[in-house]
Amino acid sequence: MDARTIIESLSSEFPEAISESEVESEIRVRAYVAAEKAKETCQYLKDSLQFDHLCSVCGVDYPKRGEIEVVYHIASYEHPVVLMLKAKLPRDSPEIESVVPVYWNANWYERETYELYGLMFKNHPDLRPLVLPEEMLGEWPLRKDYEGFPNKTARNLV
Amino acid sequence: MEEIVGPNEMIVHLGPQHPMQPGPFRLNLRLKGETVVGADVELGYIHKGIEKILENKTYLQGIPIVDRICYLVALTNEECFVGCVEKLAGIEVPERAQYIRVIIEELSRLQSHLLGMGEYGEFIGFVSMFMYTIKEREDILTLIDMVTGARVTHTYLKFGGVRDDLPEGFKETALPVLNNLKKVIDDYEEMFATDSIYRERAEGVGILTADVAKNLGVSGPALRATGVPFDIRKNEPYLVYKDLDFKVCTETAGDCAARVRVRLNEMRESIYILEQCLDRIPDGPIFPVNSPYGRRTPVMRVDPGEVFHRVEDPRGEMGMYMISDGSDKPHRVKVRGPYFPTLQALPPLIIGTTVADVAAISGSMDGCTSEADR
Repeated sequence: MDARTIIESLSSEFPEAISESEVESEIRVRAYVAAEKAKETCQYLKDSLQFDHLCSVCGVDYPKRGEIEVVYHIASYEHPVVLMLKAKLPRDSPEIESVVPVYWNANWYERETYELYGLMFKNHPDLRPLVLPEEMLGEWPLRKDYEGFPNKTARNLV
Repeated sequence: MEEIVGPNEMIVHLGPQHPMQPGPFRLNLRLKGETVVGADVELGYIHKGIEKILENKTYLQGIPIVDRICYLVALTNEECFVGCVEKLAGIEVPERAQYIRVIIEELSRLQSHLLGMGEYGEFIGFVSMFMYTIKEREDILTLIDMVTGARVTHTYLKFGGVRDDLPEGFKETALPVLNNLKKVIDDYEEMFATDSIYRERAEGVGILTADVAKNLGVSGPALRATGVPFDIRKNEPYLVYKDLDFKVCTETAGDCAARVRVRLNEMRESIYILEQCLDRIPDGPIFPVNSPYGRRTPVMRVDPGEVFHRVEDPRGEMGMYMISDGSDKPHRVKVRGPYFPTLQALPPLIIGTTVADVAAISGSMDGCTSEADR
């Protein structure tokens, strides 16, 4: 399975949802996906293209563009290609369908992204904070406009 | 966790501070008699906000920070971070520096596996095991100390090379240590194979099958013990691993004993890699010639771009996703540690076992909560 075949197969399966796809090297591919199609795309990747290993899910904040991107790094135990699948979400109300039904280990990654970015994962089985205390919920500390030290230390919050 | 319903049920909290744990996390166990019927992990007791800190440090200042993700695997964490920046900035590492990095990272793998095995022995009540392995680990740490000047947090890798060359007489000091370690590994193997109490505690306990392990996202020795030959050093070679001869160690049983055997065999392979490196290491510069990168790194501005770089940690797949926006600090660094998914897979593994096996299963994963929390 090489990088170009993967991108072609993905673009032909979801012609409207996949955009800005790019082959960076033999083992790295990236593509943007429409947020409402993210879960279907993951299901297709897992079933048809041997992408059976979810490396990570993370958020990236772009305050100037008013967007939060959610990035799925999807790899495989069979071939060395890693796909960076990204979805752009509005910064004021980021929401995306959870991929836990497809990749079981997305559970904690999505909980972490939720508490750090305020990114809601719809239909997640158990969306509650993972590493942060309850008091920090709503602070969204990994967003770029988080004040941080010294205004928002743990002592001042509790 | 829900309230108790039946008269035979109770909830036991293991942690956040507990002698059987590799670091502070809380394991809530719902017990029916001796059997675990529900489990839930709570994290956050050692959350350091490393990802946020890295966004506020220059690239050079980031290196000591990634050391602190997990002190046992500081060198592979550095390799991952430095590799990201090198890919983004297009820096070529000279061959000698690549060999030195392989040597120091394989030594780091040896000491991590030794400590992991010792801790595992301690968790299942075989406390002498810890004394045996910590003694051998000390020799390895002395070797690392000779090169980097530190025992656990090194800040040794630099962009484009390594901070210092190997010291005079390193090979002559290292080879006896490695030969001794080979004998010791044989001893451990014999001890594990013949000790009936150990075998009762480890064989057939915490069985993972290949399909389940893949579905749970596990990597490293825990996955290879189920028969999946997944190793980033082979699948996606970095440094000079593609020129070196080594095999990916697998087992098929998938239980606690298989995980320990995989680690033992991996240590043998690491020693073999080290011997090859010490024989073949070429002379030459340890930094790219005619470039600004050297022992004193210049103030760097990295071109905009993004990269996802993976290395093989002693515990599995370590990946970092770095985005540069053209300034002197990264826009975003996501650390994808190997123990995070493994810890997540703990509750489904321990449900249905007895309380005594919880420590055995959790210990055989060779955990580091510090890395899961970041």
